[in-house]
Amino acid sequence: MMRNAARKIYIFLIFIFLYAPIIALIVLSFNASRTRAKWGGFTLKWYGELFQNKVILQALWNTLAIALLSALIATVIGTIACISMQGMKRRNRTILMGITNIPMLNAEIVTGISLMLLFISLGIKFGFMTILLAHITFNIPYVILSVMPRMKQLNPSTYEAALDLGASHMQAFFKVVFPDILPGILSGSLMAFTMSLDDFIITHFTKGPGIDTLSTKIYTEVKKGIKPEMYALSSLIFITVLILLILVNCTPKTEPKKEITERSKNSSKKWIAAVVCVILCIVAVFGFSTFKSNQSNEVYVFNWGEYIDPEVLVMFEEETGIKVIYDEYETNEIMYPKVEAGTSAYDVICPSDYMIQKMIENDLLQELDFDNMPNAVANIGAQYYEQSAAFDPGNKYCVPYCWGTVGILYNKTMVEEPVDSWSILWDEKYANNILMQDSVRDAFMVGLKLNGFSMNTLNENELQIAKEALIKQKPLVQAYVVDQVRDKMIGGEAALGVIYSGEAIYTQQENADLEYVIPKEGTNVWIDGWVVPKNAPNKKNAEIFIDYMCREDIALMNFEYITYSTPNEAARALIEDEEIRNSSIAFPDLSQYQNLETFNYLGEDGDELYNSLWKEAMSY
Amino acid sequence: MKNALVNLVNITKSFGDQMILDDLNLYIRENEFLTLLGPSGCGKTTTLRILGGFETPDKGQVIFDGKDITNLPPNKRNLNTVFQKYALFTHMTIAENIAFGLKIKNKSKTYIDDKIKYALKLVNLDGYENRMPDSLSGGQQQRIAIARAIVNEPKLLLLDEPLGALDLKLRQDMQYELIRLKNELGITFIYVTHDQEEALTMSDTIVVMNQGYIQQIGTPENIYNEPENAFVADFIGDSNIIGATMIQDRLVEILGARFACVDEGFGTNKPVDVVIRPEDVELVAPEEGTIQGTVTHLIFKGVHYEMEVEANGYEWLVQSTRMCPVGTHVGIKVDPFNIQIMNKPESEDEEAVGVNE
Repeated sequence: MMRNAARKIYIFLIFIFLYAPIIALIVLSFNASRTRAKWGGFTLKWYGELFQNKVILQALWNTLAIALLSALIATVIGTIACISMQGMKRRNRTILMGITNIPMLNAEIVTGISLMLLFISLGIKFGFMTILLAHITFNIPYVILSVMPRMKQLNPSTYEAALDLGASHMQAFFKVVFPDILPGILSGSLMAFTMSLDDFIITHFTKGPGIDTLSTKIYTEVKKGIKPEMYALSSLIFITVLILLILVNCTPKTEPKKEITERSKNSSKKWIAAVVCVILCIVAVFGFSTFKSNQSNEVYVFNWGEYIDPEVLVMFEEETGIKVIYDEYETNEIMYPKVEAGTSAYDVICPSDYMIQKMIENDLLQELDFDNMPNAVANIGAQYYEQSAAFDPGNKYCVPYCWGTVGILYNKTMVEEPVDSWSILWDEKYANNILMQDSVRDAFMVGLKLNGFSMNTLNENELQIAKEALIKQKPLVQAYVVDQVRDKMIGGEAALGVIYSGEAIYTQQENADLEYVIPKEGTNVWIDGWVVPKNAPNKKNAEIFIDYMCREDIALMNFEYITYSTPNEAARALIEDEEIRNSSIAFPDLSQYQNLETFNYLGEDGDELYNSLWKEAMSY
Repeated sequence: MKNALVNLVNITKSFGDQMILDDLNLYIRENEFLTLLGPSGCGKTTTLRILGGFETPDKGQVIFDGKDITNLPPNKRNLNTVFQKYALFTHMTIAENIAFGLKIKNKSKTYIDDKIKYALKLVNLDGYENRMPDSLSGGQQQRIAIARAIVNEPKLLLLDEPLGALDLKLRQDMQYELIRLKNELGITFIYVTHDQEEALTMSDTIVVMNQGYIQQIGTPENIYNEPENAFVADFIGDSNIIGATMIQDRLVEILGARFACVDEGFGTNKPVDVVIRPEDVELVAPEEGTIQGTVTHLIFKGVHYEMEVEANGYEWLVQSTRMCPVGTHVGIKVDPFNIQIMNKPESEDEEAVGVNE
């Protein structure tokens, strides 16, 4: 009795351990409240919004098309491979099986990067095709793995028996061998479909501009905090994969064993025919839609996630007739290698100050023709061009798009004393109530400014002092995070957090107890600006796009949507809400502050120095 | 060569370095039940596969019904094969299995239905049309395999150890079944087996093969009673094979004792092999025997006792209905008709052929 109970509890614990995260996800997907901390009642709203989101539906469509096509093609190739491997000598077959199994054991990131390099060296344009090829590649071993055992079980005489009874080689294969290995083929293709459906890493490395699958889309969306629609989407993906896996595991058992009636046989044949028809239709429709999208008048835009009002893109397309192929990235560091490798030829990108400097130094950008962009000249405040000249001397390459400061966001109900210095982040009163940025430059900025140093310093003594400060602060910090500062602060989960000013405005709208300050020791004033890379295929359209973004009404729409400060003076004048127009968070009077700086590109050695010190601090 | 349905001419076949068949010549008469008998690796299955079209000989010709079919693919040959492991199509019903060849040939539905009924009746499995092969016993599956082959009305049926996977009792039943089928159908059977009893029971003609060479061709009686060499003698049934000297016609010296025999023409004082079947060795009182010995082993086998008798340095195998306990001193006597004299192998090739069990 006791042993039995213990066994049940053990099993129960294992299941809890395995499924608790997914249950949490599914529960949250029905939570009416936007924050994770509160349960706001049951709702299906997020699922509804999910299916109205065009971008997500497009990603879903891409995912299904790629999964279906790659599974189909991999199944054909894998099955043919099995047939010929079956005919080989045992030794060769074993060697070949080993070779085909290696890609499955190989780290996905290695496969992803090697495929990317291969496509670059072959000069293949990154897009739907490269993802498809990559998926076929990693799917083939799964097909072989599930067809081969069936093949081995096959009585080799049945094929000869069919020939003996007058069948041609083709007839013998399709009438006799194929039905016998069909369960293996079906489970192999289902397996391939599932693998393709939930692949992220390889897709991430082989995708091109303007195309996303669900997994890469979710990853991009996460940049601006995880929206509840994403819980809904992830829940749906989990359920789909679960159902497929159950199907995969059940297929081999559902063979007809005893007597079967003529009728059931016919209906299963019809079923297979129906499935094949559906697949062919989807493939045909898809083929049509890719041809259709092959227009020449387009502009490829590569921007931060959630960094534009989607409505603006629609308006741009309607007014100019230029199709926008829009892609998002999460950090400057993710964007840079894609542009540098040339896998994706974008027309417009929106990097941050130090990254623009790095791209200029590495000759990746081309000069802009301001004659084509009257709005950029007229509407952007001169002081912002002055500021951007720090990383873009002579203002040749960049049009400022957004700017802001980094400061401390605090909860007035939890912090009573006035906040005006970085030093409050070292106050033991707030142990376990402090949120720091989990990125090397932002964290060191705080440490350096606290001690009165430049945040672009390469002086090792200064950096050591900053490192010691960060190590000292570590026990007080609740978490090192990026996007979650916003959500945690809204939910009242921490008292103090280092945050970007644009996020601060948003958090105040959600939670009135929050207040933002720029510490007196100075901080980072950053600028993100539009640039055009050297390999841009449509420079003219790029300039039309940048100029459109600088139009006052458009800049206003973007400001209201993303809440990051705009350098567009004309747009600022249009802001109706006086409180916001004169907000010290959105538009601080920078002359009141000292020691404001913009990040510089420190060179590879500098980056390495910062990274190694950051690693030391974090592993201390 | 009259009425020869099949003629294998100078067939040579090797896989890699391994020579399987070396210049094999064989003809098969119409309506004959011919068995290829030999140990595994003797080339009998390869011969059958060359006939079926699954292997192409390196050299030589296959003449079938007057036409050269050496390079004809299996599906163009008017003959059918019954495979060792039945090779039924497991995803089809019994009826679909049997109809397979007829459907390929686009026969009408009524024709096919009639044929299925007829074939199932012939193999005593009426009413099994809608069963699946998995639900049948081994013996039943083998009959379906035969039914599936014969509905195509082949002139020649090739059977590759079809009873090898069945148990003893079932195997014996199926032997009679096959003889009956052959007689009812009136077609030629070529049967491959390593089981000498099967071969002796069913065949009109037995071809004993070893290491790619034909050792002897003959009727079952002929093969059993007058093996041409030690290999055949040893492979067909139990026997005492003893080195001896032919003193003169009708007199042979075995283990130092002289035995009367009926063979002539071997010359004088010539070394030979003699074959004496165990049932032909008579145990008598010591003084009546040609040589004397002592019983060393005794086993009861049902219809007879099997004994080993040590005499003049040789362990004689003896089968008799009369029991002599271990230790008994006995005499050994052999009827002259039951002593089979064989030439000793002379060439190295023939040596290689020798007993290897």
